[in-house]
Amino acid sequence: MPKRVITLTVNGETHEVAVEPWWTLLYTVREELGLTGSKEGCGTGDCGACSMLLDGRLVTSCIVLAVEADGCQVTTIEGLAQGGQLHPVQQAFVEKGAVQCGYCIPGMVMAAYDLLRRQPDPTLEEVRLALAGNLCRCTGYTKIYEAVLAAAERMRLEGARG
Amino acid sequence: MRPFAHFAPRSLDEALDIFRREGEGGRPLAGGTDLVVQLKEGGHKFPYPRYLVSLRRLPELKALGWHEDQGLRLGAGLTMAEVASNGWVRQRYPALADGAGLVGSRQTMNMATVGGNVCNAAPSADTAPPLLALEAQARIVGPQGERLLPLEEFWLGPGQTVLRHGELLTEFLLPPPLPRSASLYRRHTPRQQMDIAVVGVAVAVALDDGGRTLKKVRIALGAVAPTPIRARRAEEALEGQAPSPEAIARAAAIAQEEARPISDVRGSAALRRHLVGVMTERLLREAIERARRG
Amino acid sequence: MARETLERPRFRHVGRPVDRIDATAKVTGQTVYGDDLRLPRLLHVKLVHAPVAHARIRRIDASKALAVPGVEAVLTAADLPPHRTNPDARAQVLLASDEVLFYGQPVAAVLARDPYTAAYARDLVEVDYEELPAVVDPLEAMREDAPLARTAAIREADRSEEQGHITIEAQQEQAQSRPSNVSSTITFRRGDVEAGFAEADAVVEGTWRSAMVHQSYIEPHVIIADYDASGELSIWSSTQAPFHVRHEVARTLGLPEARVRVTATEVGGGFGGKIYLYEPLVAALAMAVRRPVKLTMSRREDMLAATPAPQAVVQLKAGMKADGTLVALQARVIYDAGAFPGAPVLPGCLLIGGSYKCPNLDIQGFEVLTNKVSVGALRAPGAPHVAFALESAMDMLAQRLELDPLEVRLKNAVEKGDPLPSGQPYPAIGLKECLEAIARTDIWRERHRIRQHPHRGVGLAVGGWLGGLQPASATVGLNADGTINVTVGAADITGTNTSFAQIAAEELNLPLEMVSVVTGDTRTAPYAGMTAGSKTTYTVGRAVKLAAEDARQQILAIASQRLEVPAEELEMEDGVVRARGQPEKQVTFRELGRLTTGFGARYAPIVGRGAITARRQAPGFTAQVAEVEVDPDTGQVTVLRYAVAQDVGFAINPKSVEGQMQGGAAQGLGIALFEEMVYDDKGRLLNPDLLDYRLPTTRDVPPIEAIIVEVPSEEGPYGARIVGEPSIVPGPAAVANAVADAVGARVFEAPLTPERVLRALGKLRD
Repeated sequence: MPKRVITLTVNGETHEVAVEPWWTLLYTVREELGLTGSKEGCGTGDCGACSMLLDGRLVTSCIVLAVEADGCQVTTIEGLAQGGQLHPVQQAFVEKGAVQCGYCIPGMVMAAYDLLRRQPDPTLEEVRLALAGNLCRCTGYTKIYEAVLAAAERMRLEGARG
Repeated sequence: MRPFAHFAPRSLDEALDIFRREGEGGRPLAGGTDLVVQLKEGGHKFPYPRYLVSLRRLPELKALGWHEDQGLRLGAGLTMAEVASNGWVRQRYPALADGAGLVGSRQTMNMATVGGNVCNAAPSADTAPPLLALEAQARIVGPQGERLLPLEEFWLGPGQTVLRHGELLTEFLLPPPLPRSASLYRRHTPRQQMDIAVVGVAVAVALDDGGRTLKKVRIALGAVAPTPIRARRAEEALEGQAPSPEAIARAAAIAQEEARPISDVRGSAALRRHLVGVMTERLLREAIERARRG
Repeated sequence: MARETLERPRFRHVGRPVDRIDATAKVTGQTVYGDDLRLPRLLHVKLVHAPVAHARIRRIDASKALAVPGVEAVLTAADLPPHRTNPDARAQVLLASDEVLFYGQPVAAVLARDPYTAAYARDLVEVDYEELPAVVDPLEAMREDAPLARTAAIREADRSEEQGHITIEAQQEQAQSRPSNVSSTITFRRGDVEAGFAEADAVVEGTWRSAMVHQSYIEPHVIIADYDASGELSIWSSTQAPFHVRHEVARTLGLPEARVRVTATEVGGGFGGKIYLYEPLVAALAMAVRRPVKLTMSRREDMLAATPAPQAVVQLKAGMKADGTLVALQARVIYDAGAFPGAPVLPGCLLIGGSYKCPNLDIQGFEVLTNKVSVGALRAPGAPHVAFALESAMDMLAQRLELDPLEVRLKNAVEKGDPLPSGQPYPAIGLKECLEAIARTDIWRERHRIRQHPHRGVGLAVGGWLGGLQPASATVGLNADGTINVTVGAADITGTNTSFAQIAAEELNLPLEMVSVVTGDTRTAPYAGMTAGSKTTYTVGRAVKLAAEDARQQILAIASQRLEVPAEELEMEDGVVRARGQPEKQVTFRELGRLTTGFGARYAPIVGRGAITARRQAPGFTAQVAEVEVDPDTGQVTVLRYAVAQDVGFAINPKSVEGQMQGGAAQGLGIALFEEMVYDDKGRLLNPDLLDYRLPTTRDVPPIEAIIVEVPSEEGPYGARIVGEPSIVPGPAAVANAVADAVGARVFEAPLTPERVLRALGKLRD
């Protein structure tokens, strides 16, 4: 059976990709589009390392079939920094020491970004609730909490200014 | 994963046609949070599918409407996030909002659908006890037309439902809640989030006009039997009674007897039975308190 | 965050919090991990994992798998190129050839053009097994009549991994001649333990069990190998130990080390679980098919067939006098090694008798073989298991004698000069200082108020780790533009390269931005030991410091000639060397760079060399305190607050040091509350996924207060000592003590699941 050609708009760029029905969105984005920032940690939607936005919704792309994303808008970690400028969430992760081995970080940053779009002024408990699907084994999460709260504050200040 | 074909119909009729045309060996694919994992990991509760039919683009599965007399229409294709954040659900069917809001992570809730959760037929499904306690009916559409089924009759065993080849669960109908009523769902998991329910309990209660006796009681249990179940004897023991601590404790003890748990990697039968008692008692108290407050 | 610091000189870079030099690449997704690498003609491997715990392989039929389009080869043990095998060393049994020893053991490899095809074909390989009796529980395995976990006795156990984490002289007795599942034993005795118990005013005893747990790095194992036509073997592996991998692969496959190049790709978490395992197999596959080959394990495969941490049973009896003096410890420490030797019996025995002063010791350690996956290191391997027992017993003794649990620990805590059970004396250590720091935390000071709540409590525990020792080397080079390159051979996992940049910048008095640090591969980098045993900063950091000092001397020598000023009268700042008191006499690093690298340059290039061997350990101790709430009806334990105080000697980069302390503490909470690999009685793993193998989530881990304690080590750079491992150790004991404080129930088995807490409370029938 020939592969199916689907259309994916990833980080604003539209691609036509030939995929097998059983390929995941994660595999397709990594292997066919060369965007390897999103990681596979579990393959079962339990760790969040593959998190990306699919039509604006945060998903674990390791359990989304690529064919299901046909025609959709996808935002990956590679799409966050604009014009060489880190997104405030990324900047805060760097400054707060929230990055160790870094393997969970692309997914973690996407989940934090998604939270701050929905809730610009989260409490610590809201941060902990929103990130529960993103496992980190290195940091003990503490500096990640600090980074997300710091990013929220910076974004509010920038929003107020801008 | 073994090779399979994938179809992406844009209407319910088209989906039904595909099943008719392709024959046995097809599986509907909703959010995929259970099915894709099962396809990847093996150990299937069903024969490996020859083809998948995506339900993602079927507008008929996204129905959502409230009617004073008929209650809530809830499309099977709504995601957990959509259900949990819906105003009607949160106000009138809080147990369902509780259940949908507990499924996995934010990511899971954005993908998983309430219909998929029910059709996957895990005894631990978090929306199942709420839907049972809220007396949901399931609308099933298939080659022979349409039927409406009380949800309690929907499951046959772990991973098994009454759905025949080519039939789809399209929506749920939830009757309007009675006055002075409240509903709740809670589950027990070792972690605070991301786990599968070791025990899930939903209760829905309604008080009489004076608020002195229990006019209606529904208790549903998850993960303690081959399917989600109603604790009918516990319900009967409370209905018409004053909600005294003793009566509530008695009902919780009866619910414990009605549970038929097994031991598995997530917990022993003894733990599950114990938790049914503790949680049923707690939830009944809290629900009655909420119903009183209105 | 707080910092308990002794007197310290002023430094420009070291001791100050610095952003990790690799953080920007990581937050943008640009960092390349092993699975992100692409090679031309690459084949993807999926391993056939045995679905039985103990069996003989009768026959392997790959015909159906080979018929799948895109499958290039299916190889069994018999198809591999000639290599050294050792049935007693896990990594040298490349594929099971005759006897399967654990559920999940690889028996064949499928090579295909993409991973989906490989995985699909893998399921079509038919293997005929003759099942043998499996032994799963370590205590049952020790019984005389137990079935043997393997049909042949152990002759040559491989303990190199363990030594990477803890390097100490002690006698470990190999298996006896009589066939047994006990593969080694250790005994430490001091004084007269019976006399000790006789003089004790309180004696407690118990049996503590700790579950088998998995390191659960978020990146599963990934290895790529390529054997080219000239006979060069290249390996890219997410390993913590590139030089160790090179040595072992070369030895196993009969290649000179000079022809083996190992590149440690960015490690997506290791924690001791990524030292050395499938590299020889993947290399052998590449040699067999003469194409680059990649093995990316799935989470399930990694949980079935990597090297998790052992289950342990610790029987402990402890005696104390009424004034709080510990007088006797008697312990039987049993570690379940799984199917191959390599359990951390030695560190367990050293630490159970080496955390407190105690005149009378009787410690026996047993390594037991079972038909489960063989174990490896996990952050302070073996230590949390014994700390769980010892620290629970200390609280039980304190309670019996109505003494303050912190005071009791302070009274008995080991100090410099106190002997380990092996007799070796401790160098300077900071256990007491950690306890004093914990005494000042809000949680500890508020403990009496917290106890007013019916279901809340506070628990304390300490733990430590001795640390590994390996030689290390580094080079520091001056570039043509005056910037500095530092080259090391140690994989950077915890931010060590950032610390090395700080060290080099400190020694050369440069802005940090002028220094770049790179981890080379084994063909280009100066040798370093494995990034394990908490020793990277302690050993490689010393080498970097020496190399920078050497470069500094070379720079000064040339500057002295150029400026005609004696080297002693020169000073160095921000890339400029100038004569003290004569600012007009100066030469810049940029000029020196040109003078040492340009065409017809007058001077030889500046290459500072640092090479050290480390023979003295710098043990690290930690004290931790937990505030928990227990639901007495569901058994659920919620950690409300947590604090960790740790002696790190000197925190070169406090930001990463805090991260190590918090990360290890969170792992301690994971093994305290959730993590457990559950096997059925046939030896099948029931939870090989991150749904039912429960790692702590953000909901489960409160912000962790990190208190840096600094008692300088004698040899470490600027007084730094080991950091990475100790923080995991006290978690289970601290939580168990807090649960006991909250609801009066003592739980003897970790993780403290709701079920175990309810049973301890007497609330579960049957």
